[in-house]
Amino acid sequence: MRRDVLLLVARQFWTSVFKSKAIYLLLGLTLILLFYAAFSGVSYHEQNHHRIEHQQQARESWEANPDKHPHRMAHFGTFAFRLKHPLSIFDFGVESFTGNAVFLEAHKQNVVNFSEASYSTSLIRFGELSMGMILQLILPLIVFFLGYAAIVADRENGTLKILLTQGATWKEVLYGRALGLFGLSCLFYLPFVFATVALLLMESYTADVWIRLLVILASYLLYLFIVSLLTIIISVGSKTSKNALVKLLGIWLLLVVVIPRTSQAVGSFLYPTPTKLEFRGAIEEEVIQFGDSHNANDPYYNFIRDSVLEVHGVQSINELPFNYPGFQMYVGEKISTEIYVRHHKELLDQYRRQNQLTKWLALVNPYLGVKGLSMALCGTDLETYASFQHQAEAYRYELAQAMNELQIKHIRANVTSSEGKVNVVDREEWKSFPDFTYEYPTVESTLGSELLALISILLWSVVALGMMNYWARNASAL
Amino acid sequence: MLEAVNLSKKYGQKDAVVDLNLKVEKGEVFCLLGQNGAGKTTTINLFLGLLDPTSGKALVGGLDVVENKVSTNQILAYIPEVVQLYGNLSGLENLEFFSKLAGQKIASDELSKLLLEAGLQEEHHKSKLSSYSKGMRQKVGIAIALSKQAQVIFMDEPTSGLDPKATDEFTNICKSLAKNGKSIFMATHDIFNAVNVGDRVGIMNEGRLIYSSHTENIDASEMQELYLKTI
Amino acid sequence: MYKLLFQQFLRTRACQLGLTLVLILGGISIIIGKQFLTDQGRLADQATQMQQEHIERNVKLHGDDLSLLLYYLKFALLNETDPLAGLSVGQSDLNPGVQRIRILALEGQKYDSDLVNPTKLLYGNLDLSFVIVYVFPLLVIAFMYNLFSEERESGTWQMVNVMARSKSKFLLGKLLVRFLLLAGVMLFLIGVGAVVLGVAADTAFLLFTLTALFYLIFWFALCFWVVCLRQNSNVNALVLLTIWLALVVLLPAFVNNYITNNYPLPEALSTMIKQRDGYHVKWDTSKKETMEKFYEEYPQFANYGFPSEKGYSPTWYYAMQHMGDVESREDSRAMQLKIRSREASSRMWAQVIPSMQAQLVFNEVAGTGLDDYMDFLQYMNEFHENLRLYFYPMIFSNSEVASVDWGQFTPEVFTNSNKSINWTKKLGSLVITILLFSVLSIFSVRKLI
Repeated sequence: MRRDVLLLVARQFWTSVFKSKAIYLLLGLTLILLFYAAFSGVSYHEQNHHRIEHQQQARESWEANPDKHPHRMAHFGTFAFRLKHPLSIFDFGVESFTGNAVFLEAHKQNVVNFSEASYSTSLIRFGELSMGMILQLILPLIVFFLGYAAIVADRENGTLKILLTQGATWKEVLYGRALGLFGLSCLFYLPFVFATVALLLMESYTADVWIRLLVILASYLLYLFIVSLLTIIISVGSKTSKNALVKLLGIWLLLVVVIPRTSQAVGSFLYPTPTKLEFRGAIEEEVIQFGDSHNANDPYYNFIRDSVLEVHGVQSINELPFNYPGFQMYVGEKISTEIYVRHHKELLDQYRRQNQLTKWLALVNPYLGVKGLSMALCGTDLETYASFQHQAEAYRYELAQAMNELQIKHIRANVTSSEGKVNVVDREEWKSFPDFTYEYPTVESTLGSELLALISILLWSVVALGMMNYWARNASAL
Repeated sequence: MLEAVNLSKKYGQKDAVVDLNLKVEKGEVFCLLGQNGAGKTTTINLFLGLLDPTSGKALVGGLDVVENKVSTNQILAYIPEVVQLYGNLSGLENLEFFSKLAGQKIASDELSKLLLEAGLQEEHHKSKLSSYSKGMRQKVGIAIALSKQAQVIFMDEPTSGLDPKATDEFTNICKSLAKNGKSIFMATHDIFNAVNVGDRVGIMNEGRLIYSSHTENIDASEMQELYLKTI
Repeated sequence: MYKLLFQQFLRTRACQLGLTLVLILGGISIIIGKQFLTDQGRLADQATQMQQEHIERNVKLHGDDLSLLLYYLKFALLNETDPLAGLSVGQSDLNPGVQRIRILALEGQKYDSDLVNPTKLLYGNLDLSFVIVYVFPLLVIAFMYNLFSEERESGTWQMVNVMARSKSKFLLGKLLVRFLLLAGVMLFLIGVGAVVLGVAADTAFLLFTLTALFYLIFWFALCFWVVCLRQNSNVNALVLLTIWLALVVLLPAFVNNYITNNYPLPEALSTMIKQRDGYHVKWDTSKKETMEKFYEEYPQFANYGFPSEKGYSPTWYYAMQHMGDVESREDSRAMQLKIRSREASSRMWAQVIPSMQAQLVFNEVAGTGLDDYMDFLQYMNEFHENLRLYFYPMIFSNSEVASVDWGQFTPEVFTNSNKSINWTKKLGSLVITILLFSVLSIFSVRKLI
């Protein structure tokens, strides 16, 4: 391939496109969509301010508690408000379908509530307009529209014969046009890059965020590259431009609308999840097998009590050097948390299995690949959410056990009631227990779990190049 | 300049060109007459290297097209029945693009001269090709061939749909091209024009060249009679 | 002539491919709907069974203390699932269909979400309403985009021009063939769905079917108008697909983003905090104060008096719990109002966007919209209050656990009965858009040469 011929063909395609008014219309519309999506992204992300505010408000009332019995504090509890990842302005992912706040208290794993979708009208099921969505869904259509005739129209009117007899090779024509089309798609893509970088620059973020952004931007670039090549491939492989257009639109519908919904439906069908009643029921069942830590006459806890009494060589818990009910709850919390965490992990694994088919289909559907990768890197996928749930639960456990420890240490041995101002712990203790902070997963772990999507994008680039070379050898000008 | 040696092409079982033998010399205009589907366009495509022959050889400038695609390509040019090119570019821009494609670096005023030489008046050079008539488009096609300094020019039905004045203009351009040493291979239905512009005329039927003669010996009406009789 | 037009159309690849696709997707969607209904039924059964076991076990465990027992007892409230929900799942896959409520502060329990895979929710349900709203228009486009242009491009238009007595009749004939075919397939799918899911043949079902049919007619009218503008096939395909994209993807997303931004709900979070603080702070304040506030709410219990400031009292405990709800009431109401405004706003927008209108009507008819869920939540307040008012006197008077007839507490089923169907509101806007495009088409068809 000669570089100058390649550039010549690319430039000619580019100028041809710019001679028509449609391109300005498309660019204008894309910019409007971009503006709206960026605005939405930022204002969704603004909710973080509310959440930080509420987190602080919740913390203030936690710290404002007077001297109290620690078990009251364990039930006073606190909240974990899920903060959106800085990059969530770019791709909303499952963000709207995941809970945003959870009440953390002793003995009880509350669900994360108040997902945006739970108080949205069913319009939310039509999809949300984010920058990522425009790039994944709309931009390919624009590329198809600009490029469907790129080769086939020249063949239909005989210009291709002139091109070839003028000395251009098939390879140069195909790659030249692909380059022109890819260039055009980059022109549409660039404003998105600028917008995202500018929005992120307004606040200072860690290197992790920038690395994520870099990978996101690179994968979208590859996605557009694949889409551009695919357009040229369909164009060269079609008899008429109408055929090329219909084929491309069909492919779009299949990849973007039909496959994702169907595969997710099949996944859910194959791997049913328990209802909340079953889930809670199963945990309760297992916990009861051990015993009820609130019940002073429970056989399992009686056994523990007797062993403790024996070790300390005393007859009754009142003679123990520490508060026994606190100790009993400490043990109970440990047992029930272990059981819950195990069940919750099983549930998550079932979700993962449900999503597995969709993830594997990324190998044949680059849209799913880039979507999965983009969600994961923007911190808006299931795994990021799971990490929030995990951290919130870990914090809840710490909190409950810290309160139990305070009870064991500071409350007299024979006290069983938590009411009133008699059996209390100094309020300074509340302040010294740190507030909940949420750590996003690192980019390494995210990339690790999205390896398949990453491979899909790279694989498709290679496959597309291979198909281009195939047509460069086998295409006919007639 | 141009030679077919036992050139044959089959599409599956169907014969498109059968045992074609012909020669076109430098500065000569050869017109190939024949009905639709007679094999004229296939013959051109074989010479252009867009199709590979089933057997036999197509030679351009003494070189086998199949084995020397790059070198034979350099000396030939092609003008289709309707020169479409890029409607939203001007004639000049189209010429610039296609000449660059052929590796020619020609200044803009030189390109204009080529268009003039092909018979396109200067006032049209910068207007969009989509506004051109068929004859004007053909002139751009010729200018493209000229820019490439092609030795052999293939034309497919160049006069179909041209009005008499444009046809006459076209005939004169062809003649002057031949005088400057270009070989022209033209597939056409137009018997009158073939006799008028061609140095030699061949008649093709069902892939076979069944008649070939110099035009000095024959006039248009005799040719028509012969044509109707042979097919 | 119609028979030949039918044959000619049935032989095209687009027709065969399109019909196969929609029949497969329709079949899948009905299976998914059935699955959904089965799951809902299973949930109801579980709730009933669990409720019984749950009460029995706890009565056994805490049979000596009614106030402690009621701390543990949960009472299930079921949101009845209409079989139509299998055709239009709407929001009912993410909003819980059953909530188990204790007579403690309600705000902390009301919004407990279901366990759902967020990725599944993101990709959405493949229910019949999706097939109707998304897929059928695509088939209409695929069948219609070259209705006129194919005749011109293949040169048969000239022939038609000469032969046909009325050109518009010829085109309308082609249109009718396509419409009858698609309408037939659609009604077939809805019919099969109704039989499989056990949908009753009532006005709700009629409204569902009519909405689907009118929505289909809308697309035919729109496509007919576009193809009569005499563009070539490629332009038609692009224009129609762009319209599809705008109507079923971009505009709903646009409106949804707008509504979300316009009615933000920080109240959801503040309700949560206020409810907790409202209750918990009472542990440290004067019992008298709390009881006074409680009796303000429920003067009928004032005769139970004020407990001693020292020590624990069940009356005081439940009063404290109720204070959580009282003090978060304002925020909670503000939140309800905003959520209702969200629904009202999207309905207003839907009047001019047929795809949204169809989807919202489907969900409304099936009882799977946001409004239906809000009705459920509102009813939950009543349900909760009834339970409390039933148990309060017993707790306050230290009644025996055995004195309560526990068998009566089977899960309560909420049926949204106060829904009346306003036909003009549901179908009016669709009819108007159909008329609009029909009139436009008449003008364009006349200009056809």
